[in-house]
Amino acid sequence: MTGYLIKKAAALAAVLFLVSLTVFSVLFVLPGDPAQIILGINASPETLAALRSRLGLDQPFLVQYGQWIGSLLQGTGGRSITYDMPVADLIGSRLAVTGPLAIMAMAIAVVLALPLGIFAARHQNRPGDAAVMAGTQLGLAIPEFWLGILLMLLFSVHWGFFSAGGFPGWDEDLWGSLKALFLPALALGLIRAAILTRLTRSSMLDVLREDYVRTARAKGLKERTVVYGHALKNALIPVLTIFGLQMGQLLAGAIIIENVFTLPGLGRLVFQAIGQRDLPVVREVVLFMAAAVVIVNFLVDLSYAVVDPRIRLDG
Amino acid sequence: MKNAFRSLVLILSLVVMVSPAFSQTPVKGGILTVCQPAEPPGLDPTANTSAAIDRVVYANIYEGLVKVDSTGGFLPGLANGWSVSTYGLVYTFNLRKGVVFHNGEAFDASVAKWNLERAAMPENGNPHPEYFNGIDTIETPDSHTLVIRLKAVDALFIAHMAEGDAVMLPMKGVEDVKSNPVGTGPFRFEKWVRGDRVEMVRFDGYWNPFLPYLDRVTFRFISDPAAQIAALKAGDIDVIGYIAAPESAMMLEKDKRFKVYSGTTTGEVIMSTNNKAAPFDNRLVRQAMAHAIDRQAVIELVMFGYGTPIGSHWSPSTPYYKDLTGRFPYDPDKAKVLLKKAGYPDGFKATIKLPAIYSYSRRAGEVIADMLGKVGIDLTIEIVEWGQWIDRIFKKKEFQLTMIGHVEAWDIGIYARPNYYFQYDSQAFRDAYARALEAPDEAEKAKWFGRCQRIIAEDAVNGFLFSAPSLPVMIR
Repeated sequence: MTGYLIKKAAALAAVLFLVSLTVFSVLFVLPGDPAQIILGINASPETLAALRSRLGLDQPFLVQYGQWIGSLLQGTGGRSITYDMPVADLIGSRLAVTGPLAIMAMAIAVVLALPLGIFAARHQNRPGDAAVMAGTQLGLAIPEFWLGILLMLLFSVHWGFFSAGGFPGWDEDLWGSLKALFLPALALGLIRAAILTRLTRSSMLDVLREDYVRTARAKGLKERTVVYGHALKNALIPVLTIFGLQMGQLLAGAIIIENVFTLPGLGRLVFQAIGQRDLPVVREVVLFMAAAVVIVNFLVDLSYAVVDPRIRLDG
Repeated sequence: MKNAFRSLVLILSLVVMVSPAFSQTPVKGGILTVCQPAEPPGLDPTANTSAAIDRVVYANIYEGLVKVDSTGGFLPGLANGWSVSTYGLVYTFNLRKGVVFHNGEAFDASVAKWNLERAAMPENGNPHPEYFNGIDTIETPDSHTLVIRLKAVDALFIAHMAEGDAVMLPMKGVEDVKSNPVGTGPFRFEKWVRGDRVEMVRFDGYWNPFLPYLDRVTFRFISDPAAQIAALKAGDIDVIGYIAAPESAMMLEKDKRFKVYSGTTTGEVIMSTNNKAAPFDNRLVRQAMAHAIDRQAVIELVMFGYGTPIGSHWSPSTPYYKDLTGRFPYDPDKAKVLLKKAGYPDGFKATIKLPAIYSYSRRAGEVIADMLGKVGIDLTIEIVEWGQWIDRIFKKKEFQLTMIGHVEAWDIGIYARPNYYFQYDSQAFRDAYARALEAPDEAEKAKWFGRCQRIIAEDAVNGFLFSAPSLPVMIR
């Protein structure tokens, strides 16, 4: 187990190093002088030069990269140019929106997908199965932003149950913040539920054909025990893999839904920062997103072992 | 320019927005929530030309010596009034008494002097130090008199003093004003929830005891036009500040619950033309294009009818405006004749590069490509990212035509810079502009600024299209 952890940590470090080098190089060669974009195009050449030297943009590539990595290793990191605050604090405050949003969305997805998928598998080729499959087909076909706007028009504009976007802040209004995340989480969750339902169904169907399930049935176990006690755990492995990928994606920011609902999440942060050439923010958020994806996948790997004791995590 | 709709625009929209609410019986108190499409990159208007900053903080949190009214005229701000010496070199400002910053610091002549001197130094980050480095000396004979002696007469000095770049900052805490703004305005900054909103509350120590009426103002940042409308209809916001999409304005105008105002701005949307790139270095070609463009149709198709046609680089809401839209009326036949005269009887092919971030620019590009196609000019449309636009078009001048809104007020001086991206080089214009800047009185200013407008209209330097509208929408 220790060997496994060391190996994973080394892999994480390698990924972060490569991502840092890539994102830094890409931003370095990106056309458009950041100082000019920040100050506007009628800014005087003297002020532009002063800003360039203040941001260190007049330094060679390796010096700039070295300074950045140095500041990261010291734990300080960069400072946002447009927001005038440490990027780490900015990521923290955005994660307080994106994190709960991702968790809520995946919770909705799982709560819907598991029962529906199992139900469909057990009623294969019967009307119930057809209805679930038709529903998931719809879920896969609908674009996220459109579902978001539809939910907003219905629940906020028409019925007035929720506010139409925005985020009051956790310390200010806990209930209001939860409500603010509900519709976007629903939009994200419904679409992910469609994928997970189909996956659960097909995985369940595979497992239900296994010998040990036939044995369990032959022993005279109740159908409930067969499905939930024996089949489900084994059917979950592929579902967990996709779940992990989706969770990682959501933590990396649901840019489109965040834009529709004007949520101050990570996705909108990085999107806006690219347009404004707020380079410290872009670099560190991308690095953070890469780390989040790697770590979530690591947790998924760990959970395989919990679900299926035959899988052993060793070096 | 572009992403910088400056102070004037802001004032115009505020005047339009606020006056109807108070035109009946003024009611004290209340909360106003204003939606603005773009979140400001910092809250210090002296550190960045972005209009999004001015629209939130100008005249709300910060004030300068001078203000602008809805006709583009100048009003007293933190200065009660000012006088100009006979030759226009010395400005004497009488500052208001009893003005305090939100942090309790007093505003007086020494603070004003410190602000102007600070702004003139590029290392302090003011994008327009040139507004201030024409100042020779600043004297403070007493605590509320400011005597400014200029190195040379500058007809735009007062206009620059009304810009967001010239607002008065406190001496204490000035290093933090980007995230914790402190000014003398009617509203005190409360908090900035990054990515969502800026909140400000009534400043009880405001120098005008009758203002402000409102207790609290919140600016919310919603960029998506559909989300803006949803928020308005759901009652989350009261006003959409400067509406992003004219198609939304058209739709909301039919809804009895809302009122759409159509105001003017200082912005000019132009088809910028590289005057050094063949065949656009030929004046006849540029004039032919001017005849080939139906401005009113452009406004209808691009802005759903909102906007005012222009014939030169000057907005109708700026003083000394000359209506030159009649110089090149829509006349495709004449355009063809001029093209023939220029040596292009069969027209030619060219490329127009449109910045992706501005939807008006993309739409106008398509409409104009169609209009120019009718006289034989075959345009290829290329969409470019904003960073690329700045790099390739603005800096390296690698373009023939592009489409952009120039929003800064009083910016006709860019035509006096031959290395500016459209590369217009005219001694006649430079002379006229120099005369305008030196003009000692109103009549001379009108004469020379008028001549400036006429020269560039006659040379058809760029395709002058329309003055961008301000389209605030609010709950009735």
